[in-house]
This record gives sequence, C-alpha cells and structure tokens, in this order.
Amino acid sequence: MLSLLRIIKFALQDIVRNLGLSFMTVLILVLMLLSVNTLLIMNVLTEKAVQAVKDQIDISVYFAAEAPDKDVAQIVDYIKSFPEVINVDFFSRDQVLTKFRDEHQDNQEILSSLDELNTNPFGPTAVIKTREPGDYAKITAALSVPDYQNIIESKTFGDTQTAIERIQTITTQVERFAAAVSALFAIIAFLIIFNTIRVAIYTQRLEISIKKLVGATNWFVRGPYVFEALFFTLLSVGLTYGLIALAFHFIEPYVSLVFQSPQILTNYYNSHIISLLSIQLLAVFVLTIFSSFLAMRRHLRV
Amino acid sequence: MIKLSKVTKRYAKDSVALSDVDLFIDAGEFVSIVGQSGTGKTTLVKLLIAEEKPSAGQIEIGGWNITRIHEHDVPFLRRQIGVVFQDFKLLPKKTVEENVAFALQVAGAGHSRIQEVVPKVLEIVGLKNKAKRYPHQLSGGEQQRVVIARSLAHRPKILIGDEPTGNLDSVNTAEIIEIFKKINEFGTTVLLVTHNREIVNQLRKRVITLHQGKVVSDEKEGKYRL
Repeated sequence: MLSLLRIIKFALQDIVRNLGLSFMTVLILVLMLLSVNTLLIMNVLTEKAVQAVKDQIDISVYFAAEAPDKDVAQIVDYIKSFPEVINVDFFSRDQVLTKFRDEHQDNQEILSSLDELNTNPFGPTAVIKTREPGDYAKITAALSVPDYQNIIESKTFGDTQTAIERIQTITTQVERFAAAVSALFAIIAFLIIFNTIRVAIYTQRLEISIKKLVGATNWFVRGPYVFEALFFTLLSVGLTYGLIALAFHFIEPYVSLVFQSPQILTNYYNSHIISLLSIQLLAVFVLTIFSSFLAMRRHLRV
Repeated sequence: MIKLSKVTKRYAKDSVALSDVDLFIDAGEFVSIVGQSGTGKTTLVKLLIAEEKPSAGQIEIGGWNITRIHEHDVPFLRRQIGVVFQDFKLLPKKTVEENVAFALQVAGAGHSRIQEVVPKVLEIVGLKNKAKRYPHQLSGGEQQRVVIARSLAHRPKILIGDEPTGNLDSVNTAEIIEIFKKINEFGTTVLLVTHNREIVNQLRKRVITLHQGKVVSDEKEGKYRL
C-alpha cells in the first residue's frame, strides 16, 4: 500500500516536473482522439444521409381492379412473410380512389372523366418497405411468377431500380472508404502515440537506469508510468469530449437544418456515451501503457 | 565478505574483460582496485552489482551466491551494496533529500524511518543545509557527496566507488576519500576502483592490481605500481 501511494506520488511529481513533455503528450492524445471522433461524426452523418435516401425508396404493387380480395390478401400475407420486409401499407380500392380524388381535386377534367366511368377503375395497392434497397429485387422476383400475372397489374420497382442500385453502390463504397480511413487513422494514431511516449521514455532513460541501480524493482520503475498513462488518458478523453460538446453547440443547428431532425449528433453521443467513452478510454490507456512498456523494456535491463 | 572464484567475463569470443579472477575481500576491509583503462575494473563492479553475469566462475557476497542471480532478486542485492559512480547518477528532477530518500523508498521503508535516516546521512556528508536543492544547483563534489549519502541510506555492508573522484578537483577528491575512510571506520567494506596514484599511495591500504583482466598483484599495504 505504501509503495502504491509512493508510485502515485512519483507519477504526479513526474507530470508536474516534466510539464512541457506532459503537455505535449496530452496534446497529441487529444489531437488523435479528435481525429477519431471527427471520423465517427462523418460516419454518423453519412449513415444518416444514406438512410434518408433509403427511406425515400419503396415499391408499390398495383393489383388488378378485378382481382379477387382473397387472392390479394394472400399475396399481401406472402409479402409480409419475408424477413426482409419491414412494413407493408395496404390501400383498398376505395382508399386508392379517395386518395386519387384528393390528389387531383383541383383538376376538374380528371374528376369528371372518373365520374363518367361510373365505376372504380383502381385496384388495391400495397406499398412495401424493406430493410435494405438490395432486398427489393428479391421481393419483385418473388412476385413475378405466372400465378400472379393476372392479379398484379404492375410494380413500380422497375422505375427506381437504377436509383436503388446506385445508392447501394455508393453506400458500399462509402462504408469501405470509411473503414479504410479508420484503419489508416488507427495506424497513424498508434505510431504518433508510440513515438511520443518513446521520446518521453528516452529522455528519462538515465533516471530509469539510476532507479534500477539503487535497488528499485521493475514494478517500482514502471508503476509511475502506469499512473501517468492513466492520468493522461483521463485528461485527454475529458478534454476531447469537452471540445466535442463545444463543437456540437456550433454545428448542430446546421446539421439539423440539413437533415430536418434536431440534435442528431448530440443524441447519437448521448445514446452511445458509455460505449464510446469506455472504448476510447480503454484504447488510449492500453496504447499508452503498451507504448511505454515497449519503450522502457531496453532501459530496464540494467 | 566478497569471494570470486575463477571468474571470467567474456563479452565476445575475442573480448575477455576478466579472466580466471580469484579474490577474497573480508568484511570491513578497505581495498583499492587499480589498473589501466580497459583492464576489467568496471566489469568487476558490474559483476558485483549483478549488472552483468559472469561467463564462468562463482561470485559470493556475504555468503549469497549471486553467480546466476534471478532478475527479481537483483534489487535486493543492490539495496545491500552502495555504489558511487564517476558520473554521479543522481535523479535530476529530485531534490537532494528526495534522491537520498528514494533509495529507502524503493526498499519500502516507512515515512518515519526516512525522516530519521535522510538528515543523518546528509549530515555525515556535510550537506544537511542543501537538502532542498536540485542536483544542478550543486558543485561536482557536492553531487558526489549526495551519491555517497544515498548509498549510505541502506546502511550497506559494502560500498563500491567506481572512479568516484574522476570528475573532481583535488580538494573535492580529498574530501570524498575522507568520507570513504570514515565510512570504512564504521565497519563498512570499501572497494575503491581508481587510477588516481596519489590517492592509492596515501591510503596505505590493500591494493589489488588488474592487468588485461587478471589479478597481477595483491598487496596488504600496497602502492600504485603501474
């Protein structure tokens, strides 16, 4: 217990007496964390943008006006049975007619033509939404069978297929790019931190050897660096999140304007705060500890 | 008691620092180890503090065979041996008293014991009034006295000086040697590695001469003969 308290005391002494080096280490850590969080924010916004486009896409299945209700209900149930389908909005013939009338209430010509028919020319309609745009192809393929030829009049998927495929390509490319950039950032961050810590340890190599010569155990020499790493980690993560909160205060109004949804970034961080904090704290701590132990190994052989 | 039996230290196939060295130093002795540069004096010190391990032979300190000492036991050995180097080896970011206290702290000494021992050893070396200073605020002689104070903190059975006066002027050199003599009078075995002819001749103590890694002379009241 006495040794532990001394190790903590030495760690705090080292931080204060090497203030310049301590400041530089924290600065590098904050810059690294800011880069990683910027990337995270970009990912959140990209996902939000892609999702917004995806939400605009659905397929409509127009049933023939004379199709028996029993067959239509059977097909709707069949569509709902697909695990990829997340929602099916069904509109009966009357609902479709009402909707059509509402949409064209200003066009008297269309409405009078409709009245002349003296019958409802519309069949029921099902509007289908799937989890991923790629799932639409599966649904339309399942509906394009000879059995349904006389029941289903048309499907709108053909019109949006190109757009869906393009979005899918873009989404996949964006995800790949984000993963590659994240990996690159992780490597750069590791190298920067590793070298910063290595320089810090190198400047203290003489002290390390002296401590060993007067009878300090490896743990007694390493201990202060563990606590310094812990302190730098807490400080850098705290500062980074303070800066992020400040940045959100300024950029959130613009983001809300673009996505028509308030506090997107703040809500994301609030709902993921435990995982975000624990992952980043752990990653920075492990990184600094690993770097310092690796850098110190050679100097401990005295 | 220090006992070396047929000790050889090879750094490479054709680089032999010590060869078949037999040595026995009794408790309480004051021994000067002399020899030209590169003759194995510092290697001998490194072997005694387990900074190096012998290639062959046996080393015993106070009955403890340290020939193949485990890495975990090295700190415990070093806490029993005080070492004073030519280049001082003080912790630059610690004050004089913190440097001395550090030697006790690593051994887990309690606060009250540290409070008791540090002023005492600083008084022995005449630096009680400079306890709050940092090493860079002291002269070379004063820094070396801090090192001696630090090495005394454990009340070591053995004190080794590896060219402790190498960086000092004649006045400071004389002071440091006086302190070594005083420590020896308290019963501590002193090993002084030096090539300062004047010191060795004035001491009139046992002199071991090394040449090309071998002990070439061992005189009870010897002189510097190189």
